[in-house]
Amino acid sequence: MERQQKASPLPRLFIVSSGEENTDNGLLLLNQLNLLPRSLPCMIQIREKKLEAKELLTLSVKARAIVLPEGSLLLMNERADIALAAGLDGVHLPENACSAKTIRSFAPGLIYGCSVHSKSALLIAEESGADYLLFGPVFDTPSKRKYGAPQGLEKLGEFCQLTSLPVFALGGITPQNAALCMAEGAYGIAGLSIFQDTAKLAETIEQFYLHLNR
Amino acid sequence: MIPSLPFLCVITDETLCPVTLAEKVLEGGAAMIQLRHKTASGSQLFLWAVEIRKRCQQYQALCIINDRVDIALASKVDGVHLGQQDMPAKTARKLLGETCIIGVTASSPEEALQAEQDGANYIGFGHIYPTSSKHKESSPLGLDILQKTATLISLPILAIGGINNDNAASVIAHGASGIAVISAVSRVNNPSKAARELVCAINNRIQ
Repeated sequence: MERQQKASPLPRLFIVSSGEENTDNGLLLLNQLNLLPRSLPCMIQIREKKLEAKELLTLSVKARAIVLPEGSLLLMNERADIALAAGLDGVHLPENACSAKTIRSFAPGLIYGCSVHSKSALLIAEESGADYLLFGPVFDTPSKRKYGAPQGLEKLGEFCQLTSLPVFALGGITPQNAALCMAEGAYGIAGLSIFQDTAKLAETIEQFYLHLNR
Repeated sequence: MIPSLPFLCVITDETLCPVTLAEKVLEGGAAMIQLRHKTASGSQLFLWAVEIRKRCQQYQALCIINDRVDIALASKVDGVHLGQQDMPAKTARKLLGETCIIGVTASSPEEALQAEQDGANYIGFGHIYPTSSKHKESSPLGLDILQKTATLISLPILAIGGINNDNAASVIAHGASGIAVISAVSRVNNPSKAARELVCAINNRIQ
Protein backbone atom coordinates (compact mmCIF):
# COMPACT_ATOMS: atom_id res chain seq x y z
CA MET A 1 0.00 0.00 0.00
CA GLU A 2 1.29 3.44 -0.91
CA ARG A 3 1.66 5.66 2.13
CA GLN A 4 1.55 9.40 2.21
CA GLN A 5 4.94 11.07 2.58
CA LYS A 6 5.25 13.43 5.49
CA ALA A 7 6.75 16.87 5.23
CA SER A 8 8.87 18.01 8.14
CA PRO A 9 12.09 19.94 8.56
CA LEU A 10 13.53 17.27 10.85
CA PRO A 11 16.55 15.26 9.67
CA ARG A 12 15.65 11.66 8.81
CA LEU A 13 18.41 9.94 10.71
CA PHE A 14 18.28 9.75 14.50
CA ILE A 15 21.28 8.76 16.60
CA VAL A 16 20.74 7.75 20.22
CA SER A 17 23.89 8.08 22.34
CA SER A 18 25.39 4.89 23.74
CA GLY A 19 24.41 5.31 27.38
CA GLU A 20 27.88 4.09 28.24
CA GLU A 21 29.49 7.39 29.19
CA ASN A 22 30.82 7.30 32.76
CA THR A 23 32.23 10.81 32.97
CA ASP A 24 31.55 14.20 31.45
CA ASN A 25 34.46 13.52 29.06
CA GLY A 26 31.84 11.76 26.93
CA LEU A 27 34.49 10.44 24.59
CA LEU A 28 32.29 8.24 22.42
CA LEU A 29 29.51 10.81 22.01
CA LEU A 30 31.87 13.68 21.20
CA ASN A 31 33.76 11.43 18.80
CA GLN A 32 30.51 10.49 17.06
CA LEU A 33 29.52 14.15 16.72
CA ASN A 34 32.88 15.06 15.26
CA LEU A 35 32.63 12.27 12.70
CA LEU A 36 29.22 13.11 11.22
CA PRO A 37 29.48 13.59 7.44
CA ARG A 38 29.27 17.32 6.69
CA SER A 39 26.32 17.27 4.33
CA LEU A 40 24.09 14.76 6.15
CA PRO A 41 22.06 16.22 9.03
CA CYS A 42 21.18 14.03 12.02
CA MET A 43 19.08 14.17 15.15
CA ILE A 44 21.28 13.22 18.11
CA GLN A 45 19.75 12.32 21.45
CA ILE A 46 22.03 12.57 24.47
CA ARG A 47 20.82 9.74 26.67
CA GLU A 48 23.40 9.02 29.37
CA LYS A 49 21.70 7.66 32.44
CA LYS A 50 24.88 6.94 34.37
CA LEU A 51 25.70 10.63 34.58
CA GLU A 52 24.55 13.02 37.30
CA ALA A 53 22.92 16.28 36.22
CA LYS A 54 26.10 18.32 36.59
CA GLU A 55 28.10 15.92 34.41
CA LEU A 56 25.27 15.74 31.89
CA LEU A 57 25.24 19.51 31.64
CA THR A 58 29.01 19.69 31.17
CA LEU A 59 28.88 17.01 28.48
CA SER A 60 25.97 18.76 26.75
CA VAL A 61 27.84 22.05 26.67
CA LYS A 62 30.80 20.26 25.07
CA ALA A 63 28.50 18.58 22.55
CA ARG A 64 26.87 21.91 21.69
CA ALA A 65 30.26 23.45 20.99
CA ILE A 66 30.84 21.00 18.13
CA VAL A 67 29.82 22.28 14.72
CA LEU A 68 27.31 19.74 13.39
CA PRO A 69 26.13 19.19 9.81
CA GLU A 70 23.67 21.93 8.87
CA GLY A 71 20.13 21.10 9.96
CA SER A 72 21.24 18.72 12.70
CA LEU A 73 19.42 18.81 16.02
CA LEU A 74 20.85 18.01 19.43
CA LEU A 75 18.34 16.63 21.92
CA MET A 76 18.50 15.84 25.63
CA ASN A 77 16.80 12.82 27.07
CA GLU A 78 13.92 14.01 29.29
CA ARG A 79 15.67 16.88 31.09
CA ALA A 80 14.45 20.14 29.57
CA ASP A 81 16.35 22.06 32.26
CA ILE A 82 19.64 20.69 31.00
CA ALA A 83 18.60 21.22 27.38
CA LEU A 84 17.86 24.88 28.12
CA ALA A 85 21.03 25.40 30.14
CA ALA A 86 23.23 23.90 27.43
CA GLY A 87 21.38 25.51 24.54
CA LEU A 88 20.29 22.23 22.97
CA ASP A 89 17.54 22.10 20.36
CA GLY A 90 15.06 19.82 22.02
CA VAL A 91 14.04 17.13 24.43
CA HIS A 92 13.25 13.49 23.84
CA LEU A 93 10.69 12.18 26.30
CA PRO A 94 10.40 8.56 27.41
CA GLU A 95 6.86 7.30 27.90
CA ASN A 96 7.00 7.85 31.67
CA ALA A 97 8.24 11.44 31.49
CA CYS A 98 6.28 14.62 32.11
CA SER A 99 4.13 15.47 29.07
CA ALA A 100 5.47 17.60 26.23
CA LYS A 101 2.65 20.06 26.86
CA THR A 102 3.67 20.56 30.49
CA ILE A 103 7.33 21.01 29.65
CA ARG A 104 6.60 23.28 26.72
CA SER A 105 4.87 25.63 29.18
CA PHE A 106 8.28 26.65 30.54
CA ALA A 107 10.47 25.75 27.56
CA PRO A 108 8.43 26.81 24.51
CA GLY A 109 11.30 27.05 22.06
CA LEU A 110 12.35 23.40 22.13
CA ILE A 111 11.51 20.50 19.84
CA TYR A 112 9.74 17.63 21.61
CA GLY A 113 9.76 14.00 20.68
CA CYS A 114 8.12 11.07 22.41
CA SER A 115 8.94 7.39 22.61
CA VAL A 116 5.76 5.42 22.02
CA HIS A 117 5.27 1.70 22.47
CA SER A 118 1.48 1.51 22.36
CA LYS A 119 -1.42 3.14 20.59
CA SER A 120 -2.58 4.80 23.78
CA ALA A 121 0.90 6.31 24.26
CA LEU A 122 0.77 7.53 20.67
CA LEU A 123 -2.52 9.31 21.27
CA ILE A 124 -1.23 10.89 24.48
CA ALA A 125 1.92 12.08 22.72
CA GLU A 126 -0.09 13.58 19.84
CA GLU A 127 -2.44 15.26 22.28
CA SER A 128 0.49 16.73 24.21
CA GLY A 129 1.85 18.39 21.08
CA ALA A 130 4.86 16.22 20.28
CA ASP A 131 6.86 17.16 17.18
CA TYR A 132 7.85 13.60 16.33
CA LEU A 133 7.48 10.05 17.60
CA LEU A 134 9.99 7.28 18.12
CA PHE A 135 8.60 3.79 17.69
CA GLY A 136 10.29 0.50 18.41
CA PRO A 137 11.82 -1.93 18.64
CA VAL A 138 10.96 -2.85 15.06
CA PHE A 139 13.50 -5.67 14.73
CA ASP A 140 15.37 -7.75 17.26
CA THR A 141 18.13 -5.81 19.00
CA PRO A 142 20.38 -6.86 21.91
CA SER A 143 19.76 -3.65 23.90
CA LYS A 144 15.97 -4.19 23.95
CA ARG A 145 15.75 -7.99 24.21
CA LYS A 146 14.89 -7.82 27.91
CA TYR A 147 11.62 -6.03 27.04
CA GLY A 148 10.32 -8.94 24.97
CA ALA A 149 9.71 -9.61 21.29
CA PRO A 150 10.17 -6.85 18.71
CA GLN A 151 7.05 -5.05 17.48
CA GLY A 152 7.67 -5.82 13.79
CA LEU A 153 7.19 -4.02 10.51
CA GLU A 154 3.45 -4.49 10.35
CA LYS A 155 2.94 -2.72 13.67
CA LEU A 156 5.25 0.07 12.51
CA GLY A 157 3.02 0.49 9.48
CA GLU A 158 -0.10 0.64 11.66
CA PHE A 159 1.48 3.29 13.87
CA CYS A 160 2.54 5.42 10.93
CA GLN A 161 -1.02 5.30 9.58
CA LEU A 162 -2.45 6.37 12.91
CA THR A 163 -0.58 9.65 13.10
CA SER A 164 0.34 12.61 10.97
CA LEU A 165 3.49 13.13 13.03
CA PRO A 166 6.89 12.02 11.73
CA VAL A 167 7.66 8.54 13.08
CA PHE A 168 11.24 7.35 13.52
CA ALA A 169 11.62 3.59 13.50
CA LEU A 170 14.04 2.20 16.09
CA GLY A 171 15.49 -1.20 16.89
CA GLY A 172 17.78 -3.43 14.87
CA ILE A 173 17.60 -1.23 11.78
CA THR A 174 20.51 -1.38 9.32
CA PRO A 175 21.12 0.20 5.93
CA GLN A 176 19.98 -3.16 4.54
CA ASN A 177 16.52 -3.18 6.10
CA ALA A 178 15.94 0.59 6.39
CA ALA A 179 13.96 0.68 3.14
CA LEU A 180 11.43 -1.76 4.63
CA CYS A 181 10.70 0.69 7.44
CA MET A 182 10.43 3.62 5.06
CA ALA A 183 7.99 1.60 2.93
CA GLU A 184 5.80 1.21 6.03
CA GLY A 185 5.55 4.97 6.30
CA ALA A 186 8.39 5.77 8.69
CA TYR A 187 9.68 9.31 8.40
CA GLY A 188 13.16 8.28 9.41
CA ILE A 189 15.40 5.74 11.08
CA ALA A 190 16.81 5.74 14.60
CA GLY A 191 19.59 3.64 16.03
CA LEU A 192 21.99 3.26 18.89
CA SER A 193 24.44 0.34 18.61
CA ILE A 194 24.94 0.65 14.86
CA PHE A 195 26.43 4.12 15.30
CA GLN A 196 28.93 3.09 17.95
CA ASP A 197 31.52 1.72 15.56
CA THR A 198 33.13 5.09 14.97
CA ALA A 199 35.54 3.70 12.37
CA LYS A 200 32.52 3.06 10.13
CA LEU A 201 30.23 5.84 11.35
CA ALA A 202 30.47 8.12 8.32
CA GLU A 203 30.03 5.19 5.95
CA THR A 204 27.04 3.85 7.92
CA ILE A 205 25.31 7.24 7.82
CA GLU A 206 25.98 7.59 4.09
CA GLN A 207 24.54 4.12 3.47
CA PHE A 208 21.44 4.91 5.52
CA TYR A 209 20.88 8.11 3.62
CA LEU A 210 20.68 6.18 0.34
CA HIS A 211 17.33 4.92 1.64
CA LEU A 212 16.14 8.05 3.44
CA ASN A 213 16.07 10.77 0.83
CA ARG A 214 12.58 10.73 -0.55
CA MET B 1 10.13 33.17 51.89
CA ILE B 2 12.29 31.04 54.11
CA PRO B 3 10.90 31.08 57.68
CA SER B 4 12.68 33.35 60.13
CA LEU B 5 12.02 31.15 63.16
CA PRO B 6 13.84 27.83 63.49
CA PHE B 7 12.00 25.51 61.13
CA LEU B 8 11.67 21.88 60.17
CA CYS B 9 12.29 20.60 56.66
CA VAL B 10 11.23 17.06 55.87
CA ILE B 11 12.88 15.24 53.00
CA THR B 12 10.69 12.50 51.58
CA ASP B 13 11.70 8.92 52.16
CA GLU B 14 11.75 6.63 49.13
CA THR B 15 10.05 3.85 51.08
CA LEU B 16 6.81 5.82 51.62
CA CYS B 17 4.33 7.69 49.46
CA PRO B 18 5.76 11.22 49.57
CA VAL B 19 2.33 12.86 49.44
CA THR B 20 1.09 10.90 52.46
CA LEU B 21 4.27 11.66 54.39
CA ALA B 22 4.02 15.35 53.49
CA GLU B 23 0.42 15.52 54.69
CA LYS B 24 1.35 14.01 58.03
CA VAL B 25 4.42 16.13 58.75
CA LEU B 26 2.74 19.35 57.61
CA GLU B 27 0.09 18.61 60.18
CA GLY B 28 2.92 18.29 62.69
CA GLY B 29 4.34 21.70 61.78
CA ALA B 30 6.95 21.09 59.08
CA ALA B 31 7.59 24.35 57.20
CA MET B 32 9.35 22.87 54.18
CA ILE B 33 8.94 19.62 52.24
CA GLN B 34 11.71 18.49 49.95
CA LEU B 35 10.53 15.96 47.39
CA ARG B 36 13.45 13.66 46.81
CA HIS B 37 13.13 10.42 44.90
CA LYS B 38 16.01 9.25 42.75
CA THR B 39 14.26 6.41 40.92
CA ALA B 40 10.75 7.75 40.26
CA SER B 41 9.79 8.63 36.68
CA GLY B 42 9.39 12.23 35.57
CA SER B 43 5.62 11.95 35.29
CA GLN B 44 5.38 10.45 38.78
CA LEU B 45 7.58 13.17 40.27
CA PHE B 46 5.50 15.83 38.56
CA LEU B 47 2.25 14.42 39.95
CA TRP B 48 3.71 14.17 43.45
CA ALA B 49 5.10 17.71 43.22
CA VAL B 50 1.71 19.15 42.24
CA GLU B 51 -0.01 17.32 45.11
CA ILE B 52 2.60 18.23 47.71
CA ARG B 53 2.59 21.85 46.56
CA LYS B 54 -1.18 22.05 47.13
CA ARG B 55 -0.84 20.68 50.62
CA CYS B 56 2.08 22.97 51.43
CA GLN B 57 0.04 25.99 50.34
CA GLN B 58 -2.67 25.04 52.83
CA TYR B 59 -0.09 25.21 55.60
CA GLN B 60 1.93 28.14 54.20
CA ALA B 61 4.84 25.74 53.91
CA LEU B 62 7.40 25.54 51.12
CA CYS B 63 7.65 22.77 48.55
CA ILE B 64 11.13 22.11 47.17
CA ILE B 65 12.22 19.52 44.58
CA ASN B 66 15.54 17.74 44.81
CA ASP B 67 17.77 17.96 41.70
CA ARG B 68 15.03 18.19 39.05
CA VAL B 69 14.87 21.83 37.98
CA ASP B 70 12.68 20.72 35.07
CA ILE B 71 10.07 19.24 37.42
CA ALA B 72 10.22 22.34 39.63
CA LEU B 73 9.52 24.55 36.62
CA ALA B 74 6.72 22.28 35.42
CA SER B 75 4.99 22.00 38.79
CA LYS B 76 5.60 25.62 39.86
CA VAL B 77 6.79 24.66 43.31
CA ASP B 78 8.71 27.08 45.52
CA GLY B 79 12.18 25.90 44.70
CA VAL B 80 14.85 23.29 44.18
CA HIS B 81 17.47 21.67 46.31
CA LEU B 82 20.75 20.96 44.55
CA GLY B 83 23.47 18.57 45.61
CA GLN B 84 27.09 19.09 44.59
CA GLN B 85 26.58 16.61 41.72
CA ASP B 86 23.47 18.42 40.44
CA MET B 87 23.16 21.44 38.18
CA PRO B 88 25.20 24.37 39.52
CA ALA B 89 23.13 26.95 41.43
CA LYS B 90 24.16 29.74 39.06
CA THR B 91 22.80 27.83 36.08
CA ALA B 92 19.63 26.88 37.93
CA ARG B 93 19.07 30.53 38.88
CA LYS B 94 19.04 31.57 35.22
CA LEU B 95 16.32 29.00 34.53
CA LEU B 96 14.27 29.54 37.67
CA GLY B 97 14.38 33.33 38.06
CA GLU B 98 15.09 35.48 41.09
CA THR B 99 12.09 34.62 43.23
CA CYS B 100 12.54 30.87 43.23
CA ILE B 101 14.25 29.31 46.27
CA ILE B 102 17.50 27.47 45.61
CA GLY B 103 19.04 25.35 48.33
CA VAL B 104 22.49 23.83 47.97
CA THR B 105 24.02 20.94 49.88
CA ALA B 106 27.38 21.75 51.45
CA SER B 107 29.63 19.45 53.45
CA SER B 108 32.32 21.98 54.29
CA PRO B 109 32.60 25.69 55.05
CA GLU B 110 34.21 26.14 51.61
CA GLU B 111 31.28 24.57 49.79
CA ALA B 112 28.89 26.70 51.85
CA LEU B 113 30.75 29.89 50.90
CA GLN B 114 30.76 28.87 47.26
CA ALA B 115 27.03 28.19 47.35
CA GLU B 116 26.45 31.63 48.84
CA GLN B 117 28.50 33.23 46.08
CA ASP B 118 26.56 31.21 43.50
CA GLY B 119 23.30 32.75 44.65
CA ALA B 120 21.81 30.03 46.83
CA ASN B 121 19.02 31.02 49.23
CA TYR B 122 19.85 28.48 51.89
CA ILE B 123 22.44 25.83 52.62
CA GLY B 124 21.73 22.24 53.52
CA PHE B 125 24.70 21.50 55.74
CA GLY B 126 25.76 18.10 56.93
CA HIS B 127 25.89 15.50 57.92
CA ILE B 128 26.18 16.84 61.46
CA TYR B 129 25.77 13.52 63.29
CA PRO B 130 26.02 9.90 62.15
CA THR B 131 22.91 8.99 60.15
CA SER B 132 21.15 5.86 59.00
CA SER B 133 19.23 7.45 56.12
CA LYS B 134 22.10 7.66 53.69
CA HIS B 135 25.32 5.78 53.35
CA LYS B 136 28.13 8.21 54.13
CA GLU B 137 31.81 7.80 53.47
CA SER B 138 32.90 10.92 55.30
CA SER B 139 32.74 11.36 59.05
CA PRO B 140 30.10 13.61 60.68
CA LEU B 141 30.92 17.33 60.70
CA GLY B 142 29.84 18.01 64.27
CA LEU B 143 28.66 21.20 65.94
CA ASP B 144 31.95 23.14 65.82
CA ILE B 145 32.15 23.10 62.03
CA LEU B 146 28.47 23.99 61.87
CA GLN B 147 29.09 27.00 64.08
CA LYS B 148 32.17 28.05 62.12
CA THR B 149 30.19 27.87 58.87
CA ALA B 150 27.29 29.83 60.36
CA THR B 151 29.66 32.69 61.19
CA LEU B 152 31.19 32.62 57.68
CA ILE B 153 27.99 32.94 55.68
CA SER B 154 24.84 34.99 56.04
CA LEU B 155 22.48 32.48 54.43
CA PRO B 156 20.13 30.33 56.51
CA ILE B 157 21.64 26.95 57.27
CA LEU B 158 19.52 23.83 57.38
CA ALA B 159 21.40 21.29 59.43
CA ILE B 160 21.00 17.68 58.33
CA GLY B 161 22.18 14.27 59.43
CA GLY B 162 21.25 12.36 62.55
CA ILE B 163 19.20 15.13 64.10
CA ASN B 164 16.63 14.08 66.71
CA ASN B 165 14.64 15.47 69.63
CA ASP B 166 17.65 15.31 71.92
CA ASN B 167 20.19 17.16 69.80
CA ALA B 168 17.92 19.47 67.74
CA ALA B 169 18.12 22.40 70.16
CA SER B 170 21.92 22.38 70.23
CA VAL B 171 22.08 22.40 66.43
CA ILE B 172 19.99 25.59 66.47
CA ALA B 173 22.16 26.97 69.27
CA HIS B 174 25.19 26.44 67.02
CA GLY B 175 23.86 28.65 64.25
CA ALA B 176 21.46 26.55 62.19
CA SER B 177 18.22 28.23 61.08
CA GLY B 178 16.48 24.94 60.84
CA ILE B 179 16.85 21.20 60.58
CA ALA B 180 16.22 18.72 57.80
CA VAL B 181 15.26 15.14 58.59
CA ILE B 182 14.29 11.99 56.77
CA SER B 183 14.15 8.90 58.95
CA ALA B 184 13.36 10.79 62.17
CA VAL B 185 9.85 11.35 60.85
CA SER B 186 9.42 8.66 58.19
CA ARG B 187 10.53 5.54 60.00
CA VAL B 188 8.29 6.03 63.00
CA ASN B 189 4.71 5.05 63.78
CA ASN B 190 3.42 8.58 63.91
CA PRO B 191 5.14 11.06 61.54
CA SER B 192 2.86 13.95 62.63
CA LYS B 193 3.81 13.49 66.27
CA ALA B 194 7.49 13.09 65.42
CA ALA B 195 7.42 16.29 63.37
CA ARG B 196 5.59 18.16 66.14
CA GLU B 197 8.17 17.08 68.71
CA LEU B 198 11.04 18.21 66.49
CA VAL B 199 9.39 21.60 65.90
CA CYS B 200 9.05 21.99 69.68
CA ALA B 201 12.66 20.92 70.23
CA ILE B 202 14.12 23.46 67.80
CA ASN B 203 12.01 26.20 69.33
CA ASN B 204 12.98 25.20 72.86
CA ARG B 205 9.41 24.47 73.73
CA ILE B 206 8.58 21.69 76.10
CA GLN B 207 5.67 19.63 74.91
